[in-house]
Amino acid sequence: MLWKAGGGIAGLALTDLLAAESPLAPKKPHFAGKAKAVISIFCYGGVSQMDSFDPKPELYRRRGEAMTGKGEVVVSQGNPGGFMPSPWEFRKHGQCGMDVSALFPNVAQLVDDIGFIRSMYAVSNDHAPALFQMNTGSILPGNPSMGSWATYGLGTQNQSLPAYIVFTDPRGGPIGGAPNWGNGYMPAAYQGTQFRSTGDPIVDLKPASDMTPERQRRWLDLLAKLNTEHAQKNPEDTELSARIATYELAFRMQTEALEAAALDKESAATRKLYGLEDKTTEYFGRQCLLARRLVERGVRFVQLYSGGGNFQTSWDAHWDIEYNHGLHAKETDAPIAGLLRDLKSRGLLDSTLVLWHGEFGRMPISQRMSGRDHNPHAFTVWMAGGGVKGGVAVGQSDEFGYKVAENGKSINDLHATMLHLLGFNHEKLTYFHNGRHMRLTDVSGNVIKDLVA
Amino acid sequence: MLLRLSVPLLAAVSAFADDLPRQTAEILAANCIACHGSAMKMGGLDLRTREAMLKGGTRGPVLVPGDHTKSALYLHAAHDAQPAMPPGKKLQDWQLTVLRRWIGTGAPLDREIGGATDAKSAMAAMEERPITEQERQFWSFQPVKRVAPPAVKNKAWVRTPVDAFLLASMEAKGLKPSPEASRRALIRRAYLDLWGLPVWPNEIEEFVNDKRPDAWERVVDRLLESKHYGERWGRHWLDLVRYADSGGFEYDRDIRNAWRFRDWVIDALHKDMPYDRFVRLQLAGDEIAPEDPGAQTATGFYRLGLEHNVKSELTRVEELDDLIQITGNSFLGVTIGCARCHNHKFDPIPQKDYYRLQAVFYNTKDADFPLVDEATLARHKEATKAFEKRLEPQKKAIEELEKPYRDLLTSRERDKLPPYMKDALAVPVEKRTEGQKLIAIQVEKTRNFSADDVINAMTPEDRRKRDELLDQIKEIEKQRPEPPAAAAAVGEGGRVPEPSYFLHRGSTDSKGSVMKPGVLSVLVREEPAFPEPPASAKSSYRRKGYAEWLTAPSNPLFARVMVNRIWQHHFGEGIVRTPSNFGKTGERPTHPELLDWLASEFVARGWSLKAMHRLMLTSSAYRQASGDIAANNAVDAENRLVWRMPRQRIEGEIIRDQILAVAGRLDSAAGGPGVHPFIDPSLYQGSSGRTWPGKKDSDASTWRRSVYVHSKRTIPLPMLEVFDKPDAITHCARRNRSTIAPQALILMNNSFVRLQAGEFARRLEREAGRDLSKQVDLAFSLAYGRAPSPAERTAAHRFLEGKPEALSDFCQALFNSNEFVYTP
Repeated sequence: MLWKAGGGIAGLALTDLLAAESPLAPKKPHFAGKAKAVISIFCYGGVSQMDSFDPKPELYRRRGEAMTGKGEVVVSQGNPGGFMPSPWEFRKHGQCGMDVSALFPNVAQLVDDIGFIRSMYAVSNDHAPALFQMNTGSILPGNPSMGSWATYGLGTQNQSLPAYIVFTDPRGGPIGGAPNWGNGYMPAAYQGTQFRSTGDPIVDLKPASDMTPERQRRWLDLLAKLNTEHAQKNPEDTELSARIATYELAFRMQTEALEAAALDKESAATRKLYGLEDKTTEYFGRQCLLARRLVERGVRFVQLYSGGGNFQTSWDAHWDIEYNHGLHAKETDAPIAGLLRDLKSRGLLDSTLVLWHGEFGRMPISQRMSGRDHNPHAFTVWMAGGGVKGGVAVGQSDEFGYKVAENGKSINDLHATMLHLLGFNHEKLTYFHNGRHMRLTDVSGNVIKDLVA
Repeated sequence: MLLRLSVPLLAAVSAFADDLPRQTAEILAANCIACHGSAMKMGGLDLRTREAMLKGGTRGPVLVPGDHTKSALYLHAAHDAQPAMPPGKKLQDWQLTVLRRWIGTGAPLDREIGGATDAKSAMAAMEERPITEQERQFWSFQPVKRVAPPAVKNKAWVRTPVDAFLLASMEAKGLKPSPEASRRALIRRAYLDLWGLPVWPNEIEEFVNDKRPDAWERVVDRLLESKHYGERWGRHWLDLVRYADSGGFEYDRDIRNAWRFRDWVIDALHKDMPYDRFVRLQLAGDEIAPEDPGAQTATGFYRLGLEHNVKSELTRVEELDDLIQITGNSFLGVTIGCARCHNHKFDPIPQKDYYRLQAVFYNTKDADFPLVDEATLARHKEATKAFEKRLEPQKKAIEELEKPYRDLLTSRERDKLPPYMKDALAVPVEKRTEGQKLIAIQVEKTRNFSADDVINAMTPEDRRKRDELLDQIKEIEKQRPEPPAAAAAVGEGGRVPEPSYFLHRGSTDSKGSVMKPGVLSVLVREEPAFPEPPASAKSSYRRKGYAEWLTAPSNPLFARVMVNRIWQHHFGEGIVRTPSNFGKTGERPTHPELLDWLASEFVARGWSLKAMHRLMLTSSAYRQASGDIAANNAVDAENRLVWRMPRQRIEGEIIRDQILAVAGRLDSAAGGPGVHPFIDPSLYQGSSGRTWPGKKDSDASTWRRSVYVHSKRTIPLPMLEVFDKPDAITHCARRNRSTIAPQALILMNNSFVRLQAGEFARRLEREAGRDLSKQVDLAFSLAYGRAPSPAERTAAHRFLEGKPEALSDFCQALFNSNEFVYTP
């Protein structure tokens, strides 16, 4: 390793430094949380609640009728239509008897492990602000994201891998781009690192093709000598030694990240479980399997985007919801179920919180004849593992799924619950910035106790 | 619950059941009506009448007569539902009992709760928040007080008054300043500090051998005269005003001509524009000097915020909030943004001050200022009109070509409609239900096929024709007249401003009084008069009035905050270490007298930044070495007493600029539209048209200084981002300084860094020939400004001998080394 060649600095001292000086050194939460890691599955574009996990029989009965008595019907584009029932049939599943539509046949089998929130609401019906709110708590960009807060609070277990990893969809990035996994006003240590599910996982991870390991070894030894000379003038400056240590980390990361991304190490059965053998499910299956491998290796926060770009390449079903949601659900249902099953069988589900969400839900009325518009007033998200109570559904939307009817839950509530499961009092996990002790939950948020096992 | 009530209370409640409506009305009037009555309807909720309660607010009805367990009014008041009401307190048990019983009896209410006048006066009272004498005594709100530099024991060390202040506090703690840095270290430090570029060997030698007593002063003067100074220090300013070239959010569209503001800042600093004028022009250049293109360009300050997709009152309020925050933080060092929803929790900043500042900005609107004469503008207008005409035939032809296919696709689409929709269309227009009407409109107004679907439906012949027409259009488009040069500036609708309001709890649903423009109350005893705009004015002159108050020497914060920023960039940390928060939650100055002395000196020297740089750089303090002194470390490890110069990792921009310069490949051209270096496309996969037209690493046109790299909010340049470049969304006064592995990965493996290491190697071969010793010497002197030590020389030779291909690796090791990325 690098420090062995470093000459002036003892190996032990450097390893200590890694632990003590790194902004990502493991830290204790406020209390023992069940969840040690989080996987956020972001169905970008906005998933329809009444086509997935929130049955609305009233829509069949009142098919084609105008929606009245609910205040002004605000649409983001086009003309509002009448009520449109779901093309997918709902059935009861699991011991808990949870209603799930035929859109998610595989996830449906696992409802006893899943806690649903059917009364989520958000502020904006515009993609970018809604994405930012889901990721950072604020509709404006420039704030640290969930993963930043998790890694700021807990550090990471594996210094040789990025602590916070994001997979975007191969069809495009989400609207709003990098600020979705940004660190805002926090140091760069807490920003999400983009991982690719094929090829080299991280940009600039791999040395140039002509840089052989031996050549790089020699190079690192030379660098260590230069740095040692320099550090002698400032033996007490831990920042200088910490920077020296980052080269060892980077060197290790080169191999560890590749190793973590080596899906060919997985058994045929596992690959099949995640849907890697099926063209439709392959890309998201890879991401799910990578997520498990990363969490297994101590990565703190992984975010997977299903859907990218605009409209039909994302969940943003402004028209033809049957095609749109049919496609994206097919791509993700089996991999997500595979991920949950796999985590469970490896004993990782108890310590891994899986969040499934979009940035908002969709409307009960038709748009462009066969689609649904954005709806931030009520939508469904779910959580599993990491201390979540399965087989329950919290809150209710109204008879159409348009607005919250009962027990509404804000994004702050969702974030408060995530932090609680990680072992934090969300009101006390703060970062001082611009004269204020900033929080992921700003000035509100209540832990959703009904979802905590 | 009822059983637990005391007997007299139980009696009181039950005995006077007829009195429940009156009691309820009193409870609600005292606790709820201020926010849910005539003055304000928080959450859209009005509690004055039974009907209004039944109707409820945005979350639905709050009253279900007969059932308190379903009445949100009760549940929130009992803290059984969130948010708990009233905020911050809970009704007493007996009051809840009254409410419960009142609901239980069917919630009769024969009156309107709370008089309108009461609520209005209550509301007006809520807007007032007087400042106490004690609050005015807080250190940063006090007038600047100039005291004479203190006497010190070690007089020989004092070169400037700055030194006297610093040394006095060191002596008080028994600390000795550090020895003077070597001339080599000193000049390299000054180059990085004032230019952000490496110093060349001949310049070092010249300085090292300059025996004149003012050799150092000459170096400082020379550096301050260069445009590179403007580029380096302009970047600091751009951080404060969150400069970017794009609007962020969904489309992240480029802000045309934003770069002219960046160039204006660089130029203003280069020319040492007095700081008060520098700020006045950014705030009100269009009002102060409407004919001056520079002054107009300066108001680009207002154009740098986020571009909201949806334009509404809400998003306008967000834009104004951004401006208020930036203004408070940047110019005053106060967190006035905290007073948006309530009076500031820590500082004596009334919420009213926030809305008075909002009134200052309320009327601004985007107004591009042409930088060409009117004749040119007119010519351009004509040319564009003519140009559009030339495109018409082709566009029309394409439309005609596509029409039959569009019609076909439309009818196919309608065939696929579900039966209930078809039925709706079959119903005669006048007999359609509301729902059927909606469906019909939707079907008539929607086309759900894409341009590709149309093309795919075409015959090969028609497709060929269409392609031909498109080619023709493309050809003509090449001749589209270039838009004439313009500055992204602001203006107002006229001299009479639109009214803006006090917003209770920051909500546009809760408007209070009309706001007049105003300043920070705690800083003035009497409100300064805002100027009356002349009859010919195109704006309200509110911004001019505000800027004049802000930049007056009597404003103690304005000068203090800026000299502290200058100090911070020279010495690593400010005298106040929270540079944009001089309030209670900020830090206190380590050297209050020095801060005030500098502030008064700043004013006395005509707000000249360069005078302040000279003052600080020619001090003994700045010339100290940066090495450890164990004894001092033990007393003051944080260097609050400035007993040494800090070593600090330089910013990502300066690392990149240094790499280019040392490699001999820096294109030092100044100004103009931003450049787009290569970014791996997997890092910005587009959406909504966001994209990055990155050039190849080898494209020399991108080898410009990093301040000229296009700053796109959703697509940051990784090399800068990883080294803590701020996100250009909020104000940044002090960059984070992270030390993380991804920085190492980029400098180790990134193709741009590799490429420039190769360029550096070729430069060595060019300039030092084949002699290995000479190559190593030159490499060290270019990268570090010094010769290698014997140990370094041995290591370098061992690395390079017999391996000519290793030279580039060696060069890259220098780029990666601590010495390269830390100030000396």
